[in-house]
Amino acid sequence: MASFVRLSSVCHRGVKPLFARNTFLPRELLACRTLREKDCIQSSVQIHASSSSSHSAAGSKAASMHWTGERMVSVLLLSMAPAAYLYPGPAVDYAVAAALTLHGHWGIGQVLTDYVHGEAKIKLANASLYTLSMVTFAGLCYFNYKDVGICKAIAMLWSI
Amino acid sequence: MALLLRSMARPGFHASRSQFGVLYRHAVPMGTTAKEEMNKFWDKNNRLNRPMSPHITIYRWSIPMVMSITFRGTGVGLSGGISLFAVAAMVLPGNYPQYLDLIHSLSFGPQFLAFTKFALAFPVSYHTLNGIRHLMWDVGKGFQIPDVYRSGYVVMALSVLTSIGLACL
Repeated sequence: MASFVRLSSVCHRGVKPLFARNTFLPRELLACRTLREKDCIQSSVQIHASSSSSHSAAGSKAASMHWTGERMVSVLLLSMAPAAYLYPGPAVDYAVAAALTLHGHWGIGQVLTDYVHGEAKIKLANASLYTLSMVTFAGLCYFNYKDVGICKAIAMLWSI
Repeated sequence: MALLLRSMARPGFHASRSQFGVLYRHAVPMGTTAKEEMNKFWDKNNRLNRPMSPHITIYRWSIPMVMSITFRGTGVGLSGGISLFAVAAMVLPGNYPQYLDLIHSLSFGPQFLAFTKFALAFPVSYHTLNGIRHLMWDVGKGFQIPDVYRSGYVVMALSVLTSIGLACL
């Protein structure tokens, strides 16, 4: 469908499909438009499912998978709160470190796509973000390995 | 999301209208490819010297808008805090229990400690609860304007209550 071909070209508007979060709204618009044509009601999740399965636009699929990945990490992070409380330990510590870093990386990335414009600035911002995220992950892992670990750290802080 | 909020701020927006209709109404007519349309949009923005999007200064403030920017603010703030903590873990001498002992030795009053815990817990609980609200939108629930306000009030009340509860622990 034409709208999905257009959609794929929107997805290339970032540095790479990984950074195509700003396509969320346009994709919604386009998807909703297609929805209207089909005259049926679907949830946005189903829209994503349909856009990735039935159309071969690779960029659109990557952006859609990225969108789904973001939500999956968010849900995973939510589930880690009770896990950290019930089973504090290295497994949860490293899982929290990874999920927190990834969630933050994608979140800040969205802010950058909204506020940073211009080819060079975008490249610089994304490079800085990658560096920051890697340093953050390294630091959290170091803390888990050398120190008390994230779960215990929060428990200790709260027991002051 | 910003577009949805912006359309909510407009007086012509009625709850009875479906979200699809509203989003479609504000959509740029797509005669060419989306990429060309986006470029045109940015060119026009530059030419007219429009403020950056999402605009935070040119619209009348509404509760969903304040909540949205607070959601982003808490996210960026928490992310920064985590990065700072991670760097500190690598750079600072000593270990975590030693720093906690240091705080202990300063013997802060219980009120100050409770307040500090609230100040730490609030951004976490707000970002978490509003994140759940966002996930509900992502599965297509709660797009009607009264629902957006209702879920907003629920999130605000719950995050204050959760933070107070956590601060009292």
